[in-house]
Amino acid sequence: MTPPASQTDNPVSIHVSELRKSYGAVEAVRGINFEVRQGEIFGLIGPDGAGKTTTFQILAGVMEATSGTATIYNRAARAARQQTGYLTQTFSLYPDLTVAENIRYVGDLRLIPHAEIDERGSRYLKMFDIDRFTDRLAGRLSGGMKQKLALACALVAQPQVLLLDEPTTGVDPVSRREFWDTLAHLALDGLTILVATPYLDEAERCHRVALMYEGTIHQTGTPSELRRSLGAKRLEVHTSALGEAEDALSGHHEGILDVQRFGDRLDVMVPEPVAGQQQVELLLGAAGIPIDNIRVDEPALENTFVAKLRAIGRVVKSPKYPGQHPHRDLMGQVAIGASSLTRHFGAFTAVRDVSVDVKYGEIYGLLGANGAGKTTTIKMLCGLIEPSTGRMELAGERGSLRSRTVRQKLGYMSQKFSLYDDLTVGENLNFFGGVYGLSREEIETKKHWVLEFAGLEGKEAALTASLPGGWKQRVAFGAAIMHEPSVLFLDEPTSGVDPLARRAFWRMINQLADMGTAILVTTHYLEEAEQCNRLGFMVAGSIVAEGTPGGVKRAQTGHLIETVASEPQRAADLLRTEGERWRISLFGDRIHNVTDGDAETSMRETRATLAAAGIAVLEAREIPWSLEDVFISVVEKAKREERLAA
Amino acid sequence: MAALIAKEFAQIGRDKRLRISLIVPPVLQLLLFGFALNATVDNLRLGIVDFDRSPESRDLIAAMTQSGAFKSAGAYASAEKLGEDISRGKVDAGIVLPVGLSRDLHRGQQADVQVLLNAMNANTAAIAQGYTEGVLGTWNQVKLKSGELHARFSQIGSAPRNLRGIAALHPAFLFNPGLVSSWFVVTGTFGLLLTLNGSLVASAAMVKEREAGTVEQLLMTPAGTGEIIVAKIAPLFLLLCGMVLFATALIKVVFQIPFRGNLLIVFLGAALCVLCGIAIGTFLATFTRTARQAQLMSFFVNPPLSSLSGALTPVEAMPHWMQPLTLVNPIRHFGVITRAALLKGSGLDILWPNILALAGITLVLLVLSVWRFRKQLG
Amino acid sequence: MRRILAQARKELIQIRRDKLALTLALLLPVGLLLLLGTSISLSVTELPIVVQDLDNSSASRSLLDAFRQSITFHVVPWPVTKPPMAAFTANQARAALVIEHGFGRELARGGAGQVQILIDASDSNTAKLIQGYSTQIVAAWNRTAGGAQRLLPVKSHIRLWYNPGRVTKKFYGPGIFVLGLSMFPPLLAALAMSREGEQQTLLQVYVSSIPAHQFLLGKILAFMAIAAAEWSIMMTLLFTFFDLSFAGDPTPFLVASVLYAFCVSSYGTMLGAAIPSQAAAIQAVALGGFLLVFLLSGLIFPVENIPGGLRWLSNFVWGRYYMEIVRDALLEGGGWPAMWFNVVVIGIIGSVFFLLAWRKMRRMQLSI
Repeated sequence: MTPPASQTDNPVSIHVSELRKSYGAVEAVRGINFEVRQGEIFGLIGPDGAGKTTTFQILAGVMEATSGTATIYNRAARAARQQTGYLTQTFSLYPDLTVAENIRYVGDLRLIPHAEIDERGSRYLKMFDIDRFTDRLAGRLSGGMKQKLALACALVAQPQVLLLDEPTTGVDPVSRREFWDTLAHLALDGLTILVATPYLDEAERCHRVALMYEGTIHQTGTPSELRRSLGAKRLEVHTSALGEAEDALSGHHEGILDVQRFGDRLDVMVPEPVAGQQQVELLLGAAGIPIDNIRVDEPALENTFVAKLRAIGRVVKSPKYPGQHPHRDLMGQVAIGASSLTRHFGAFTAVRDVSVDVKYGEIYGLLGANGAGKTTTIKMLCGLIEPSTGRMELAGERGSLRSRTVRQKLGYMSQKFSLYDDLTVGENLNFFGGVYGLSREEIETKKHWVLEFAGLEGKEAALTASLPGGWKQRVAFGAAIMHEPSVLFLDEPTSGVDPLARRAFWRMINQLADMGTAILVTTHYLEEAEQCNRLGFMVAGSIVAEGTPGGVKRAQTGHLIETVASEPQRAADLLRTEGERWRISLFGDRIHNVTDGDAETSMRETRATLAAAGIAVLEAREIPWSLEDVFISVVEKAKREERLAA
Repeated sequence: MAALIAKEFAQIGRDKRLRISLIVPPVLQLLLFGFALNATVDNLRLGIVDFDRSPESRDLIAAMTQSGAFKSAGAYASAEKLGEDISRGKVDAGIVLPVGLSRDLHRGQQADVQVLLNAMNANTAAIAQGYTEGVLGTWNQVKLKSGELHARFSQIGSAPRNLRGIAALHPAFLFNPGLVSSWFVVTGTFGLLLTLNGSLVASAAMVKEREAGTVEQLLMTPAGTGEIIVAKIAPLFLLLCGMVLFATALIKVVFQIPFRGNLLIVFLGAALCVLCGIAIGTFLATFTRTARQAQLMSFFVNPPLSSLSGALTPVEAMPHWMQPLTLVNPIRHFGVITRAALLKGSGLDILWPNILALAGITLVLLVLSVWRFRKQLG
Repeated sequence: MRRILAQARKELIQIRRDKLALTLALLLPVGLLLLLGTSISLSVTELPIVVQDLDNSSASRSLLDAFRQSITFHVVPWPVTKPPMAAFTANQARAALVIEHGFGRELARGGAGQVQILIDASDSNTAKLIQGYSTQIVAAWNRTAGGAQRLLPVKSHIRLWYNPGRVTKKFYGPGIFVLGLSMFPPLLAALAMSREGEQQTLLQVYVSSIPAHQFLLGKILAFMAIAAAEWSIMMTLLFTFFDLSFAGDPTPFLVASVLYAFCVSSYGTMLGAAIPSQAAAIQAVALGGFLLVFLLSGLIFPVENIPGGLRWLSNFVWGRYYMEIVRDALLEGGGWPAMWFNVVVIGIIGSVFFLLAWRKMRRMQLSI
């Protein structure tokens, strides 16, 4: 989106020039420049280890730069601390203080009069819908609520600049969307917001973004500018033979920039849609692969980032997995079969009547908000905890799921706890190879492969703790599949990984699935969920929707309407007062509206409502569901039904 | 199993804090305890009020200050001034020699000498009291024999049973004729060190996996819980045994403790003690989620463990009701074993009950902690 | 001031929420005081002793009776045929009394009857006590039963000041009191400080632009309050269970207590600021708070007994100065003239700790 015309005249509030920071020999920030104007939401987009946090710490005045300047309203960042609010990645809340006490403490430190602390505190808590939890300990809040509390704490000082360092990591899509709606509001009130995120879909909601990688900013602009700069279109190619189609289109074909495989389609980047479509049809036709459907769409920001990374010469290898024991013969049989799993913790029912079937060769994605019971479910599915009631079948075993033979067939990778930080990469791999009883030669072969996959050739002796998150994730993934498991559990495998590496990850996951491995993935990252063959949505301990990514989108009874209005924020606020809050969300200047009724009627009604308030609708159209919209819609509807039932 | 053990060793190898806690505390504790906890009572500062100023009074003062127990801290003009300085802690004891001391001795009258002791520290006071009586007794004997005094002192009163002589007591100190204080403290500290450090190191190692969150990953592997536990305990045990050797060498070289008995008995006891420590640490770790909590828990366990051990003060000095409690304390048994075996040369024939008790306690603690740990893993 | 109070208030709320820390802060000192106050003692009673009467005369039996009646010794049976040494290696006795042949005859003749006491000196302090007690028993027996019933040229009147009953717990009680105050407040302070670093909440504090000294003072104030609570609980125990009372002017003690609370809280805060890991901070406090105060402040044995090389170290041990003040207040009553120097030293050491903590934190920035 383009920033509102008024914004370009606004005073510059954050100014960063030739900023550098070195930690010993490591240069974390390598001379970056940018300016943020008052009322702007500026996104710093990049994977773990890009230098985002360092930039934030310098701007917050808690660290000194090696060279260069960082000013806030023309004052050195350190001197301007009273004007900045800073949200760290961990939120920096005191877990053993209550919500109210946290706010009070921050207010006291900043010498804000008590009456104002109380007034602003309750206003923001109300605004963020957490005013019911004033007396709850911060440590007992969910990720989303913690994030809101941290924001409230930062706002109590009424800063002019907000620095948000990955505020949505570990926060589920529903809370994430609410959070971004709040940010849009605050920016409209004149607050300048600098936000870092690894999620490219969030970048779409910034006024301007900067792509940051390895301490350098590679491109700055509005999201649409960035997308346009790619000079390409995206073709969604639907076909039943995804693997073969991917192979046929990959390689260096004239007119095809990039191919990415999703759960039920391929995304093909082409410079020109018509010629590109012909080229795809030609290539697939030659390979004898049937095409169900091709759709033309705008490229996503991710495509831009990937192109940028390729342009600067970043290469992510995805060497062929040296598997020797394919499980192709098992293909189609049930690998994980759960029927009616229920799990109580005391009086609390964490999981209720969940049935999941995952076949060999299938990638199944389990999605859900925080506290929906995903973790408990995955632990039951892999045998770590026993269900209170219900039956489980795992890797052909019904009785003791904890037996040595079953565990030998399982692979497991949890988001950040998979490797021993105090061992070197090589030692970690030796350990996992050894503990699964691999022979010495086998360990060597696999180790070689993992190192190549992770891009860590020759760095076997590096201490795991010293690796950035993205690298660690790839080693952990490699370690989890060294023993060629036939059933693989991946709990948020790609958080903090850059887009190129994420692709390598998924190419690998697809390769394993093609070999017959059954794979169960959980994720918060809905773009990623598109890559699964089948999805299950969990809400409040139950699976409320299930199907292929296309299937769940098609199964939506309502319609998704995109409206471009002259005063987007006011329009969104107005529409929200009309219906349920969750149905409306603001993406820059575009409003997404979920309606259960007829699309045309809804558009008409929207026009009428906005016109009555003097807001002009510039454009309105029905758009295809994104998984995020589906997710939020499903979750909200399930919540509503539960409320009705109660 | 080999992979598990190799992993533990690699982790230990990289754990700087663990390495430090295997070397620094033994050295520091043995040296500090050995040197600082010194029971020797000597050179107590003696303030002197000599009202008599006679050869006899000077002789008496010389006898007092040459005994080694007291050293002169100067003369005072009055008993009040002396009293003030005792209360200010400037002197530890005082002696007041009355006017007419010399005259009385020559007239055959008993002279009263007042000795003031700061009895705040009961032990020092008791020993100082013994010294004073010993010095004055000897002085009396010497003066009597020399015949310088009035004849009346040589007269003997009526004695029952016609015993006109006196019993002469000859003390002989066995095993430690030099009365080296550190021998007792160091042999006691040895056991404290093994058990408490063992428990510290073990609780940290056991809780680590849970704190880092890697425990689930480990449980997903085919490794059995039994294997996991053994793989965790075995390397620690070996390392701590290394610490035993190191501490033994320190004891021998720095404190020159005689190794009179069979060292193997001590090593056997030490190995059991180390296992005990590991068991205690593992047990504590099963109640906690973080290394911080595990360490705080040890603050509740360590004081009773060390104070009811007889390691630093003799068990016989505790109140009677407390003494039986020491029997379930591994450190107590190990203390008995080291002292008897190292200083007195006692053998297995005498120490078997202690070894047996130590082994029993170790076994119970190990079974208990392994059972709890397994339950938690499973 | 408002920031200092807000900081202190926050710390106290956090401690109140942490059950383990709260128990540690308030219950453990009491337990420690009772446990160590009762169990630490060097005054042995009923020491097992074996006797070998090679004379077996009425005189020798009379002397043995004197030993049997003493509360210090407890005579255990031992066969005459076995060497008394064996009783030591077997851990059956701490001493052996051997009355030589011809003891009775010698005494009847007016000579000196020979008695030997063999003492197991592996515990040297107890050995010395045994020597002293046995000397006293024999001397008393000589005066009542033997030939020593005569005028002594010089008779000693030994007066035991401050603790005439030689009650051990009156001496160790105040010592443990100091140990408790030296351990728990700094422990909690160090934990609270290093936790801010570990959980990254420190960043929030840095951003708020509170100056370092206010931040530190707020924290220290909170842990001084904890120390005050511990102080009151333990003092009550000293006045009741340990039978102690103020021996003189208590004002130096009261002033020193405030300074000491400041000193130990600053010490903990300084360690917490320097060590960003909670587990390591605990170990560091245990070393300084416990080991140094336990060993180098004269808690069990006088500082003067420590060999010179180590003794100079005790001049820097804050606990030593406070221990002298506490014992003075409760036993000696020397008051200001005796203790002014100690009060000053505690203040100085406390200020040094505070300055070190401030130096570490003064920039209120990430240090890399």
